[in-house]
Amino acid sequence: MNSRPMSSRGLIVAATLVLVAVAGCGIAAKSPTPAATVSPAPTAPPTASGTPGASGSPAASVTPTATAAPTSTAAPTPQPTPAGQVIFGNWPYYIDVDEDTGANPTLDQFTAQTGIDVNYLEVIADNSQFFGTIQPDLAAGHPTGYDVIAPSDWMIARLIRLGYLQPLDKSQLPNWQANAQEVLRDPWYDPGNVYSIPWQAGIVGIGYNEKLTGRPITSFEDLLDPAFAGRVGLFSEMIDTMSLTLLSLGVKPQDATPADVQAAHDKLLGPAQAGQFRDFYDNAYYDALAVGDLAITMAWSGDISQMQLYDNPDVKFVIPDTGGLLFVDNMVIPNGAAHPIDAYRFMDYWYTLEAAVPLTEYIGYFSPVVGVQEQVRLDAQAARDAGHPRYADKLDQVAADSFPTAEQLANVFDYKKLTEDEERAWNDLFDDVLNG
Amino acid sequence: MPLRRRLRWLTPYLFLVPGGLWLIAFFVVPMIVMASVSLQEGSLGTGYRLTWNFAVYGQVINEYLLQFWRSGVYALSVTLLALLFGYPIAYTIAFRGGRAKNILLLLVILPFFTAFIIRTLSWKLILADNGFVLGTLKSLGLLDQSFHVLASPIAVISGLTYNFLPFMVLPLYVALEKIDPHLIEAANDLYASRLQAFLRVTLPLSMPGVFAGSLLVFIPAVGDFINADILGSRDTTMIGNIIQRLFLNTNAYPEASALGFVVMAVVLVLVAIYARVVGARELTVG
Repeated sequence: MNSRPMSSRGLIVAATLVLVAVAGCGIAAKSPTPAATVSPAPTAPPTASGTPGASGSPAASVTPTATAAPTSTAAPTPQPTPAGQVIFGNWPYYIDVDEDTGANPTLDQFTAQTGIDVNYLEVIADNSQFFGTIQPDLAAGHPTGYDVIAPSDWMIARLIRLGYLQPLDKSQLPNWQANAQEVLRDPWYDPGNVYSIPWQAGIVGIGYNEKLTGRPITSFEDLLDPAFAGRVGLFSEMIDTMSLTLLSLGVKPQDATPADVQAAHDKLLGPAQAGQFRDFYDNAYYDALAVGDLAITMAWSGDISQMQLYDNPDVKFVIPDTGGLLFVDNMVIPNGAAHPIDAYRFMDYWYTLEAAVPLTEYIGYFSPVVGVQEQVRLDAQAARDAGHPRYADKLDQVAADSFPTAEQLANVFDYKKLTEDEERAWNDLFDDVLNG
Repeated sequence: MPLRRRLRWLTPYLFLVPGGLWLIAFFVVPMIVMASVSLQEGSLGTGYRLTWNFAVYGQVINEYLLQFWRSGVYALSVTLLALLFGYPIAYTIAFRGGRAKNILLLLVILPFFTAFIIRTLSWKLILADNGFVLGTLKSLGLLDQSFHVLASPIAVISGLTYNFLPFMVLPLYVALEKIDPHLIEAANDLYASRLQAFLRVTLPLSMPGVFAGSLLVFIPAVGDFINADILGSRDTTMIGNIIQRLFLNTNAYPEASALGFVVMAVVLVLVAIYARVVGARELTVG
C-alpha cells in the first residue's frame, strides 16, 4: 500500500516522534531526589531515635507511627495498634524449618504470641540485585511492599545514604536494648543503630577442601597459589573480594586510599588473566565447593559449618592470617512500609531467647543475641541426656562454630562505608578483574 | 455508502489492533524508555537526567569490544553446531519418521517441559570435575586429575547448543516435511546420485528452514547470559552477562541500556546481511 515517496517522509516523521518521546520520557523518568520527596521518611537527625525514658515494656511504648519522626516522649500517645500483618523480605536458607511439616516454628510462635501474621519472602539472593529491584520504587517514593528487609551492612550504608530507610524508635525495641551483643552495637555502617538492628552475622574468610588442597590453608596468598589454578573461587560481590584483598595487602578497608584499591586490582588481575580463578561466585560457590569443583574459595563462616554437617565433611573454614571481614545482615524498615508497628514487634521478637535459640540451632550463624551460645550448649546437653547423641553433636558443633572467639574477632575487620563516587571507582576496577 | 466502504477499507487494520497494542505496550514503550535511559547521566543519589549523552555508546563499544566479539563467535559456533546436529534429526523425522513422527517431535521439545535454568544447572552436576562422568573417567585413569569441562568455552557453547537445538530442528522439519518425495524420485530417475539429489533438490528446498532455524538460534544465543553464568568462567563472559551486571549489580543503567541497543543494532545488521545473502531469495522459493 505504501508508496515509496511516502515512506521516506514517514520515516522522518517517525524519527521525530521517537525523539520527542525520548525527550519527554527523560523528563518523566528523571528520578526525584529520594528522601526529600518521600513523605514517611523523616529527615530528622539521629537524635530523634533516642527516646529515653521508655520503661522497656513494649506495650507502654510511645510514638509508634512511622509516618512521623519519633520526636519527644513527653506527649502521651495512644496505644499502638498492630495491623495484624508483617511482610519480611529475607535471604534463602536463613530461617528454621520443620523438616516434617515445612513450617517455620519461630514464625508460628511469633504469630501465636502477637496475632500478627508473617508473610515471609525469600527474595534476597544478592544485595546488589535486590537493591536493583527495590530502588526504582524507593526513588519514586512508592512503597516497596516490604515492612522489614534484611540486607547486609554495606548495603544498609547505601540505603541510609540515599534516604531510603526509616529511623527506628528504640523505645519500640526493648529486647534489642536489653539483649543485643555488645560487639554488634553501634556499627560502622549505622552509628548509633539509628536505622538498623542486626539479624544475623558471620565472617568472610576462606573455605577449603583439605582433601583437594592437600594441606591446611592459612593465608590469602593460598588463593593465588598456582598449585590450585582453576580451582579457586572468589566472590562476585565487589565489596567482599576487594576488601579481603585489601587486607592481604596490609590495608584495613576503612583506611583504603585509591592507590590501595588500584593495588588490590593489580594483585588480582594477573592471576585472573592466567586462569587462577574458576569463577566469581554468589551463593553458588557453596555447591561448587561441596561437590569438589573448587578446592579453595572465599566463603561465609556459617555456610562452611553447614557444609561440614550436611554436605561435605572435608571442608574447613579459616580466617586468613591477614584478616577476615565481619559481615552483619540487618533488619530495617524501608520507606513506605505499610505495617510499621507490626514491624517493630517482629524485629524485637528476634531478641528473645525463645526466638533466637531455635533459629541459631537450625541455621548456624553468629547470633546477635546475648546468651544464645550458652543456651545452645545447654540444649546439646539436654539432647544428650535424652538419648539423642547425633543431634547433641550437631548442637555442640553449632555452638562451637557459629560464634567467633575473642581471638577470631580480633582478626576480623569492617568494610569501608563508600561514597557513590568511591563505589563507582571500586566497581570499575573490580569489573576489570571480573570480566575476561 | 461511503461509510461502509471506508469500514471495509479499515477491516484489515482493525485486525491489527490487538497485536499492535501489544507491541506498543510491551515493545515500543520499553524501547523508548530504554533509549531515554541510555542517554541520561547522573547517579543514584542525585537521580538521572536526560543529557543526550550519545558518547556513552562509543564508550561501551570500546570497553566491551572483546565480549561483543566473543558473543558473536559463540553464537555463530552454536548456530553451526545446531545445524550440524539438527539437520540429520529433522531429516530423519521428516522422511523416515513414518507413524512415529509426532512422538519424535514431542521428544525433541520434551526438554522444554523443564525450566531453562534447571536444564542448564543439571549439566553443571553431570559435568562436575569429580562428578558422575569425569569422576569415573578420572578414577579409571583415563583423564588427568586436573581435567575439567566446566568453566570453559566448550561448556558454554555446548550448553547453548543443547538449549537451542529444538529451535533449529522444528523449522527444519517444517521445511523438509513440505518437500514432495516425488521430486527426489525424479532426480534419481534423471540419474542423480543420492548425494546429488540431496545437494541439488532437498537442500535448496530446505533453505527456508535453515534460514529460520539459524535466526531462531543465533539471536537468542548472542544475548544469552545464563549458560555463560552457570557453565562458564571469567573468560567466557558474554555481552549478556555484562548487561545483567551493569543493570543489577553496578546500577549503571545508562551504560546497560546503551549496550542493549548496540547488541540489537549489530544483530539487525547481521540478520539483514544474512537475509540478503541467503534468506530472502530462498524464502520466496519456499
